[in-house]
Amino acid sequence: MDILFLLVPLSVLLALAVMGLLAWAVWSGQFEDVEREGERILQEDNQKPH
Amino acid sequence: MQVAAVLTPPDFGQTGLQDTPAPSHPEVFDNPEDWAAFSRSAGASADADLWESQLLVRGMYCAACSLTLEQALLAVKGVVAAHVSAASGRASVTWSSALTRPSLWMTAPLALGYQLVPASDAFEAHDSRQQVRLVLWRWLVAGFCMMQVMMYAAPAYFSQPGDITPDIEKLLRWASWVLCLPVLIFSSQPFFASALRDLRQRRISMDLPVAIGVAVTFAVSTAATFEPQGWWGREVYFDSLSMFVFFLLTGRFLEQRLRSRTAGSLGALTERLQASVERQAADGHFERVATRRLRVGDVMRVMPGEAFAADGTIVAGDTLADEALLTGESRPVPRALGASVMTGSYNLANAVEVRVDKTGVDTRYAQIVALMQRASVEKPRLAVLADKVAKPFLMFVLLAAVMAAAFWWGTDPSRALMAAVAVLVVTCPCALSLATPTAMLTSAGLLARHGVLVRHLQAIESLADIDTIIFDKTGTLTDASIGVRDVQTREGITRAQALQLASSVALHSLHPVSQALVAAANASALPKGVEVSDVKEVAGQGLEGQLTGVAIAGLSGKLRLGSARFCRIEASSSDVMQVWLADDLGWVARFELDETVRAEAAKAIGALQARGFEVHMLSGDRAATARHVASGLGIDASRVQGDCTPQTKLALMQALQQGGRKVLMVGDGLNDGPVLAAANVSVAVGLAVPLAQAQADFVMPGAQLMMLPAMLAHARSTLRVVRQNLWWAVIYNAACVPLALAGWLPAWLAGLGMALSSLLVMANAARLAKLKGGV
Repeated sequence: MDILFLLVPLSVLLALAVMGLLAWAVWSGQFEDVEREGERILQEDNQKPH
Repeated sequence: MQVAAVLTPPDFGQTGLQDTPAPSHPEVFDNPEDWAAFSRSAGASADADLWESQLLVRGMYCAACSLTLEQALLAVKGVVAAHVSAASGRASVTWSSALTRPSLWMTAPLALGYQLVPASDAFEAHDSRQQVRLVLWRWLVAGFCMMQVMMYAAPAYFSQPGDITPDIEKLLRWASWVLCLPVLIFSSQPFFASALRDLRQRRISMDLPVAIGVAVTFAVSTAATFEPQGWWGREVYFDSLSMFVFFLLTGRFLEQRLRSRTAGSLGALTERLQASVERQAADGHFERVATRRLRVGDVMRVMPGEAFAADGTIVAGDTLADEALLTGESRPVPRALGASVMTGSYNLANAVEVRVDKTGVDTRYAQIVALMQRASVEKPRLAVLADKVAKPFLMFVLLAAVMAAAFWWGTDPSRALMAAVAVLVVTCPCALSLATPTAMLTSAGLLARHGVLVRHLQAIESLADIDTIIFDKTGTLTDASIGVRDVQTREGITRAQALQLASSVALHSLHPVSQALVAAANASALPKGVEVSDVKEVAGQGLEGQLTGVAIAGLSGKLRLGSARFCRIEASSSDVMQVWLADDLGWVARFELDETVRAEAAKAIGALQARGFEVHMLSGDRAATARHVASGLGIDASRVQGDCTPQTKLALMQALQQGGRKVLMVGDGLNDGPVLAAANVSVAVGLAVPLAQAQADFVMPGAQLMMLPAMLAHARSTLRVVRQNLWWAVIYNAACVPLALAGWLPAWLAGLGMALSSLLVMANAARLAKLKGGV
């Protein structure tokens, strides 16, 4: 079970890395207006993408 | 914000929001032009100009904070009044420009940890987006760490003693400790910040128990991790800690969402203007400019789905407009070329060009916004009561926690601490403080969407007790226009002919009586054939004209339409309003005129009586006329009083009130001001009086009388929800405190219970967002 001494700290680091990703997602507005991308397909082609 | 700010949001040009002045430098608002963007003049007294400013409050996480903030603002010299609403996160401050400056009173609450931000559109949009992100981020951190900490805690729950070697157990505890740090330092930061602020102020609020709970749990667990041999025992509670922080934040997160959806529906109504509009430049093309740059005479282009940013006249195109907020008319109204459109109404169908006639505070929209915002920061009586109860209750909670800890200390110090933590966490009186304002604000928002503006939230509570309704007649049950009730004619002339003749003369006049005759003739769909030429109006007396075209048997010469004297007829005076038609031979027809009763009046009164309300009618009109109208509406003759002066109306209503009746007065506000003011609840109908001056609790610009039964029913369900909420809060605490004291409630369950109780209150209030009983 010695491997745990490597894996548990690694899991902590992984958790922190995932949180870093989440931070990017929140602060770049990925969770705001989640409908928009889905609706874009319904828009007319000549419109500029937002 | 008030009016000025809605209509004149800051101009932030091409560079976006970075250009808005940083709210951390309140000096920039000391310039009268700048403070005018979120303030309005509240009248000038001899020694001071009073201003009323609208602000957003940052750093206010709990309902009890509003009292502290109010006190802090009032302590500043020159601040006359301050109202803070925790539910809407807004404050309104009345201050004197002779004694103080915005920078002085805006910095005063900083020491307490609250920040005031002018409530103008751009600030608000930027501000609320950052706030939403921060809350979401705190919540995600807590949630993610909680999941991971549970992973490390799970082996300890499922293993047999001895399965996990001490060094592995230590490793897992270490890992939990590391992942609890972000929860403690970052996610719990709002609890700590507000608890620290309270301690500095030597008072307590809801976040203090939570903060103590979090800190104690973390301290105990940390100690057990690094020094398992101490008196605190070797149990760790990292999973409990991260869970209850996560649950509390979930509660707050959802609460914020619900709040912006329900209480915020008021905001949605009052903040519907865009920051910029398309204005026609000198060379004819359209360019985007800030809404506040609009001037009278400009031409703007309004796209479908946009709100009209100013009162104006359509100069190109035609469309449908949604004026529900402004007039109460829920159906789209056609607005063709040349028609006028109102600020704040929505363009529904086509792009139109509009010439601006009125902007800013002159528009009715601005008056409505001002009115609703003043109402939304008001505290209803029950909310004040709840806030008062909350304080001693918190003291009791802290004492109870200490007692619980002391009681269990002898048997097991670790368990003693956790019991105290559970007591602290479970008893937050958030639900108690949220109970009333959320329900009332939701109701006010709903009524506003149906065209009823609430001036005083308190009135919703009073409305629920009403058992008697007094209607004013003129302008309330009848509209201001006049209708033809009866026609008598000379022999040989038919009724239809008489109307046709009269209307062809009356066409040339704008007098209300003339318009009534024209309307009556159109309504009977007469064939047109007769022509009248050379029509002249003799002011105040009548019209005369020469009869030409198709001849009608027995008529000759000049036609005269007007009073008996003008038509040279000897007639006895009568009670009824009448108009004569005469030719050279004498009288042709006599028209009896009457006010027209509003279409919904009979149905509304029927519905009210069916629900057991006693309906009275008081009128300044002649008794015979009043009785006539009343019988048509189904009001009992014994409850009708004509020939009333405002004084007799007041006396009659007070007699009813002394008989134990709770009276709702419905009037047009024109000549029944004192009666409206003295009634238990008052509703002003129609737009006889400018909104700002209407002294009623509710204003119904569209005079949709069918809203009255719906309103009364809705007020009762609002009060029922408030009572349910208050009872729920009381019962919840009564049940949970003993459980926590006994040590049967783990801290994570306490956090879950607390969050759920607040959410239940908010969700219960959200039920009010739909009108029951139909309109």
